[in-house]
Amino acid sequence: MYILKNAVTSIRRSKGRNILIGIIIIVIAVSCTITLAIRESANKIINAYEEKNEIESTIEMNRESLMSYLRDGDKTQEQMVEAFNNIENITEEEIINYGNSDYVKSFYYTYTINVDAKDLTEATDSLVKETTTTKTETSTKTRTRNFGGNPPKGGPGGPISSGGSRTTTTTQKKTTTTKIEKIFNEKAGSGAFSLIGYNSYEAMKEFINGDYIITSGEVSSDFNSNNCVISEELATLNKLSVGDTITIVDPNNNSNTYTLTITGIYKENTTSSGSMSDMFSTSANNIITNVNFIKTILEKNENLKPTITPTFIIKDEESVELFSNEVLKKGLSEYYKVTNNLEEIQNATKSISNVKTFATTFLIITLSIGGVVLIVINMINIRERKYEIGVLRTIGMKKSKVSLQFMSELLIVCIISLMIGASIGSLLSVNVSNKLLENEIQNSMEEYEDISHNFGRGHIEESSLDQSETKESTENNTVEQNETKESTENNKEIENNENVEDKQSSSESNTEEPKEEKYNFGIANVNEVNSIDAVVDFKILLELLGIGVSLTLISSLATMIAISRFSPLTILKERS
Amino acid sequence: MKKIKNEENNTNSKNILSIKNVNYRYKDAARDEYVLKDINYDFEKGKVYAIRGRSGSGKTTLLSLISGLENKYEGSILYKNKELKKMDLDLYRNTNIEIVFQSYNLLPHLTAEENIILSMDISKVKVRDKNEKAVKLMESVGLPKNLRSRRVLKLSGGEQQRVAIARSLSYNPEIILADEPTGNLDKETENEILDIFIRLAHEENKCVIIVTHSSNVCNKSDIVYELKKSK
Repeated sequence: MYILKNAVTSIRRSKGRNILIGIIIIVIAVSCTITLAIRESANKIINAYEEKNEIESTIEMNRESLMSYLRDGDKTQEQMVEAFNNIENITEEEIINYGNSDYVKSFYYTYTINVDAKDLTEATDSLVKETTTTKTETSTKTRTRNFGGNPPKGGPGGPISSGGSRTTTTTQKKTTTTKIEKIFNEKAGSGAFSLIGYNSYEAMKEFINGDYIITSGEVSSDFNSNNCVISEELATLNKLSVGDTITIVDPNNNSNTYTLTITGIYKENTTSSGSMSDMFSTSANNIITNVNFIKTILEKNENLKPTITPTFIIKDEESVELFSNEVLKKGLSEYYKVTNNLEEIQNATKSISNVKTFATTFLIITLSIGGVVLIVINMINIRERKYEIGVLRTIGMKKSKVSLQFMSELLIVCIISLMIGASIGSLLSVNVSNKLLENEIQNSMEEYEDISHNFGRGHIEESSLDQSETKESTENNTVEQNETKESTENNKEIENNENVEDKQSSSESNTEEPKEEKYNFGIANVNEVNSIDAVVDFKILLELLGIGVSLTLISSLATMIAISRFSPLTILKERS
Repeated sequence: MKKIKNEENNTNSKNILSIKNVNYRYKDAARDEYVLKDINYDFEKGKVYAIRGRSGSGKTTLLSLISGLENKYEGSILYKNKELKKMDLDLYRNTNIEIVFQSYNLLPHLTAEENIILSMDISKVKVRDKNEKAVKLMESVGLPKNLRSRRVLKLSGGEQQRVAIARSLSYNPEIILADEPTGNLDKETENEILDIFIRLAHEENKCVIIVTHSSNVCNKSDIVYELKKSK
């Protein structure tokens, strides 16, 4: 106890020395707080991104393997087509079998079949055209009479020169030809329309990505209904609108007809697809419905072969390769392969990862320099206090206790400085890190609103309104952070949740939709991203404390070695 | 508090400290270049001893051997018949012996009172009111009460030496070693300090060993040992 008392007295009586040490520790603490906060924020952003952009695996045609198979044995084109037809499609049972894996969080799939439709004009360029061209060949004979002056310049039809001349023109031949032109649309297949069935919003990637946007109505949330959405082009061509019905016809059996109610009309928003000469977008003839509806068609006609495209949500990075191996083991045909979007995700978070790496490097450098400076200052301090050590040792204080007193002094100064440094650092880092987070939160909210709009749920005006509210909320959160330093973690969570709820309720009141109608759309949980506002949290404070204690111990180690090597007699003799 | 017990006396039972055939040379000195050679002294409680000698005769070295600050010597130094080398020297220094230096060796950032209390803390002295005891000790060496909260650097040489003596009495040691305690003081103050040492020896039964050049100190001491430069 007396060691602590003596340490406090020593600190109080040697203000200059301790203020100098304190300033150094404050600088280290500020740097550490900022870098730790940035690192933590970067981590959270990466985690949030990874949460909303989950690792997905799918099964695709293995073209390399397929081509080598088709080329094998010098096949004719007909044989190649036959061989291709013999490769069996992946069945729903197989997908379910692959999906029931420890490495898979969830999975979904889409069904696609080609169908015809009654009284529905296909949006296509493949028309048989008969073109009549009338070609008129005209020959002109020019006769000029001069009444004096220069001859005309500029050839036939040139300006008439002044001075009395006269020109006469005569048409001699006229021919008419008829040309038949046939344009093929290879995509038309056996049925003119592609009927695509989804089993959840999560599976509707085109709407999530914004490739398709609802311009009228909405995508039905009932995945067991006879509802559909059609393209704007198809709707315009056939004068269809939301609430109208269309009749689907089995291409192999005209007597099998099915009625679909249009709940929404979408437009394709891609800029890269199609060429300049295409009149319609590639999705013009897509009719989007649900899997269950397609299954009812398939039940009536077993000859219709759907293309099933699966998507498996993989648990974590480590599971990607394991899942791929497992699928191969379960018997996936060699003409198919398992692909994933891991590289895409890693590329997307690369810049944030770089920020994290930079922050970590900066932290290490700061700690190294800070540690060395502290050790040096401590050594100088020890040399200055050699006499004090000599006296304490002479009056019987053990080396360990002298070391403990010096360590206590440094620890007290260190903790006080860390508290000041952490406060300053948190104030500064709130601005830096929240800037990063604010963008992220705003992006997430924008994304949510955009997707909501893509599905026909919500409008641009509302989303922009919500965005401005988000900004305000983010600012509120920043202010709250400073307050929450004193409050408990639970309180902080409650406050954040309240903010989220406020945001939700404001958004809901605008759209006049009940709370349950908020859909996840298979993306992120915007609420979770929103809660990454606590920049300097308890974890960072603990890390700072750890750093402070470590620095104290390291620099005290030098002190202890010095104290153990000091001979009190020598010190006192030097003094005398 | 651990106290060193009296063991069976091999020589004179009154001896608290015995130096037997002690030789000492510095680390960097030649093999036969001894500072102290064949030293044999006995010290009893209740007496004032003066050790005198010319400069370089090894007076301060002898004092550091007795105090346990240096223990690489030949021969033996016995404290109550127990070999000093085998003892916990930190405990020995903060319980049984106290050193008063010519340069006082007080902690400059502490007050007079705090210096005394720190010594009591290190020695783990159990006193109900350490402040009160410190003031009493200060008064016993002739220091007024009002100096208790003054930093030692603001005290005069005589006052600092009194604080050093008061500190040495704080844990009631049996031996008080003093290295030129009056070297920095005027004649009058020297006499006052000497009187305190004599009182401590004669009235409080302490063994006081003073290393000195001063003939005044030698005259007032009970026994004088003369150290001669070893050949």
